[in-house]
Amino acid sequence: MNRTASRRDSVGAACRAAAIAVVVGFVVLAAYLGVTASQVVDIDFLRRTPSGVAVTAGIGPALAGTLWLLLLTAVLALPIGIGTAIYLEEYAPRTRLTALIESVAANLAGIPSVIYGIVGLALFVRALGMGPTILAGGCTLAVLALPVVIVSSRTAIRRVPEGLRMAAYGLGATRWQVVRNQILPAAGPGILAGCCAAFTRTAGAAAPLLVLGTATFMSFAPQTPAHPLTSLPTQIFVWATRSQEEFAALAAGAALVLLLLLLAMNLVAALVVRGLKGAFR
Amino acid sequence: MMPRSVSGAGTASRAMGERLVAHGLLACTVVAVVALAAVLAVLVREAGLFFADVSPWRFLTEITWAPAAAEPRFGVLPLLVGTAQVAAGAAVFALPVGLMTAVYLHQYAGGRTARLLNGVTALMAGVPTVVYGLFALHFVTPTLRVLWPGIEAFNALSACMVVGLMILPTVTVLSREALESVPAPLLDAGLALGAPKGRVVTRVLLPAASGGVLAAVLIAMARAVGETMIVTLAAGNESRLTWSPFEGLQTLTAFLTQLGMGDAATGTREFQAFFAVGAVLFVGTYGIHMAGRMLVSRSVGRTGP
Repeated sequence: MNRTASRRDSVGAACRAAAIAVVVGFVVLAAYLGVTASQVVDIDFLRRTPSGVAVTAGIGPALAGTLWLLLLTAVLALPIGIGTAIYLEEYAPRTRLTALIESVAANLAGIPSVIYGIVGLALFVRALGMGPTILAGGCTLAVLALPVVIVSSRTAIRRVPEGLRMAAYGLGATRWQVVRNQILPAAGPGILAGCCAAFTRTAGAAAPLLVLGTATFMSFAPQTPAHPLTSLPTQIFVWATRSQEEFAALAAGAALVLLLLLLAMNLVAALVVRGLKGAFR
Repeated sequence: MMPRSVSGAGTASRAMGERLVAHGLLACTVVAVVALAAVLAVLVREAGLFFADVSPWRFLTEITWAPAAAEPRFGVLPLLVGTAQVAAGAAVFALPVGLMTAVYLHQYAGGRTARLLNGVTALMAGVPTVVYGLFALHFVTPTLRVLWPGIEAFNALSACMVVGLMILPTVTVLSREALESVPAPLLDAGLALGAPKGRVVTRVLLPAASGGVLAAVLIAMARAVGETMIVTLAAGNESRLTWSPFEGLQTLTAFLTQLGMGDAATGTREFQAFFAVGAVLFVGTYGIHMAGRMLVSRSVGRTGP
């Protein structure tokens, strides 16, 4: 009796200890970022440009670059990715080719982002002559996001009950009417959640942009996609590689701003998802 | 007469709209397939040019990696070993903790605790890897150097620990899903036979979920192998063969970031070397990921409803 009791406790206690370790790891990370970032973050930090002198440096260009990259990724990857998912699920016949496309897309979603970087360098920066610009970065991130958008949209569309489809077709609806009036409203929340995951991945991507060649000292915020490539993640990297503590603090400040941006994006998406779900019911 | 002609015109324009939409969606698919095929084509072409020049055998067996040297050497072994070391080190930290946390969430945690833990896991999963890299270089490494003063400024240990932290949410979430796919009556039967809860966990729950847990491990390992920014920042970026976790090393991914910092011209062997390494990384992570996904679909098929 005693032995079994102690045994039950040991498994449960070990699992509880592991869970506590996870929370402690997270708290240490958050505390480090918060404490270090508090030395530098204020409203001006968001506007100033990077500089060799730590106290006058800010993330203006990097923040603008990240917003540009998000916009380009949205414009390029979302319509193409969601359109592909709709076509493959609702229009294309089930063939070996569509199965192959699905399996390749699912696995491409799992390969390291830095690989998209070297391909983007060869393709967009050099072969297509874009140079290391915001545009080349946006195209590379769009290709990186594409498999995630396709796979998550297909999953969401597939979860729509078959009865809904059949009932609409039975009433004489055309294919597009079924997609527009039944499938998209029902699958919308799932599609949006998947797109948000893709965006979180691309907005935080440093490695592919570093490979494209990122501007380390930008004295102005990029105004058009033809301007040199800069972004929050690459700015964090550049500051993190400096050994002085002041630059580590700048990096932590930029990291905090990036995290808040991602958090805000995810919260808005979660609210919209909730609203869509309510509207559909 | 009138209604028919009106409805006829409506049907015609509707049919045209239908065709337009179908063609538009097909165009999206073609663009997407071309874009993804282009990724593969660039990788295969440049890696092919490299291997036409350097034999794959030399690539895999030589022990020096110095593609930019005056007398370049293309032995990928130090990068492969470095990658394996980081992935194994991260696994040591992340797998037991992640799996036990999943068991805790599934079996022990109450509603509020579970919500808190799930929230923490979701937040950790959303943190960009460059932020983890900053944490590794400017917090974990200095802390380790207080404990072991002999440790190098760039070392594998710090990278392993933080890569482990980075893949923890992946391990936890996927293992929890695997545990949830085990039918509850199986566990109830064990408890009804008088087995203590800890025993039901180790003898019933974990064996029944083993396929899904293995899949979680594989997918987490694919992420660790592909991890770039933590390793680049914390482990140096100097290729060498070493077994000491207190020294720096270079991984396949960390080497790839150097393409952006150097100035390897298109068409040179140095440039193509990046794509050869990229191809190795691609094949490795693609394979691990595919195996993991196959295991997921199989284990769901077997134990699911």
